[in-house]
Amino acid sequence: MVEAPDAVVDDRRLHQRIVGGDETALGELYDRLGPLIVSVAVRVTRDRSVAEDIAQEVFITLWERPLAYDPARGSLRTWLATIAHRRSVDHVRAEERRKGTVIGPRLTEPRPPGLEDQILDADEAHRVRQAVQRLPAALREVIELAYFGGRTYRQVADELGLPEGTAKSRIRLGLRTLADALTEETV
Amino acid sequence: MDGATERLYLDALDTLSDTVRLPARPGLLAAARTRRRPMPPVPAWAEPYAARVAAMDALLASADPADWDTVVVEGWNVQELVAHLAAKDGLLAAAVGAPVGGPPVTADDADGRTAEVQEHQRGRPPELTRADWRAQADALCGRLSAMGDGDIVDQGGFAAPAADHVLARMLETWIHTDDAAKAIGLALPLPLPAHIRPAADLCVRLLPLTMLVSGRDGSGRAAHVTLTGEGGGEWDVALGLGETVAATQVRITCDVVEFCFLLSGRGRPEEFAAEIEGDRDLGREILLSAPALSGP
Repeated sequence: MVEAPDAVVDDRRLHQRIVGGDETALGELYDRLGPLIVSVAVRVTRDRSVAEDIAQEVFITLWERPLAYDPARGSLRTWLATIAHRRSVDHVRAEERRKGTVIGPRLTEPRPPGLEDQILDADEAHRVRQAVQRLPAALREVIELAYFGGRTYRQVADELGLPEGTAKSRIRLGLRTLADALTEETV
Repeated sequence: MDGATERLYLDALDTLSDTVRLPARPGLLAAARTRRRPMPPVPAWAEPYAARVAAMDALLASADPADWDTVVVEGWNVQELVAHLAAKDGLLAAAVGAPVGGPPVTADDADGRTAEVQEHQRGRPPELTRADWRAQADALCGRLSAMGDGDIVDQGGFAAPAADHVLARMLETWIHTDDAAKAIGLALPLPLPAHIRPAADLCVRLLPLTMLVSGRDGSGRAAHVTLTGEGGGEWDVALGLGETVAATQVRITCDVVEFCFLLSGRGRPEEFAAEIEGDRDLGREILLSAPALSGP
């Protein structure tokens, strides 16, 4: 499941427009990626209203200092998600300090330097892979092929002797089940 | 962590997107506007310039306080460079009847006015220099909204349509933003193809003038210029001032952005990467003359 080339061109173009002060471009990006960025923040903070504020602030950060993002280094989606995740973690830590309690999934200590381009640290990534292991076999199989085996929808379908549409909807169901598991997860 | 797990994580969370009710766009845009202003509103023909103003503003927003002392070009640091842009924008503003900011105008040539504005800005907080430059650009843009692209504007004895004067400002703002980005180590994305295209068109149309200023006689001759890359295109251009093209003697093919930078005095013309077919001597003359109109 390699990122589609047209998504890369889209990112480059949107970034050019945002640097050039075109507000409509920010609006389009917000409509496209806003829901995902909110979901990223909700998963960590467990608080929809806080998550919406964090998401909004992430998009405003891009607008204010758009040269902090370099299209050569990755997608806008990953960049925005990384900042949203980091700020959500900061928020949860601050809340924990304030209340003296632990909320949300267990958060590890500050990440070592040099990992700024990553959304999840090693522990968190490990938990995602564990959640994949707990998926029902039929879903786990398609997810593993598509994401860890680098197969396209069509290749997944061919290997499992399924119609392409069935493979697609099974992957989608797998992703949704995984999302629910990750959102409900308590450690 | 590997990219596969990251992609999986985001794709999974993305399946929840239809359950997310996003706070409306206007709130986001209103908040964003207070942190960095959008490009000043202008008619379509002036947008290439207005977008470069916004891009320079974005660069300055990303600069650390220490970056303002970084020497960029001409021995100028970022603050002096921004003052130079304000001075040049101010000269065009004066020519079109827009308000001119900064110190009282005693010099109406680029070097003199630049020195005046730089002296005025020296020692001021960078944020104020940025605000003054932006206010001057906005004042110019405000006036352009009431003008037609074909209105003839005489600035410093150079009479040309307003659109060409504004494209020259676009080129200078673009090139200096790129200079500053390189000096402080930031990656500046290219202007949109729709904005590069008219700037490249101006650069091609300037060739008879750059030949003349360089003391080369282009009369009776013409070139076919192919500029490759986004915003590029093909032109037949007469190399004698005011002439029309009968036949072309040389074909030059090169990158559109590199061509704009060459005209703006960036890079060495002797080493410029271009394909020349036909009259190779003429082709080289054109390229060697190309930076002739570039100032600081």
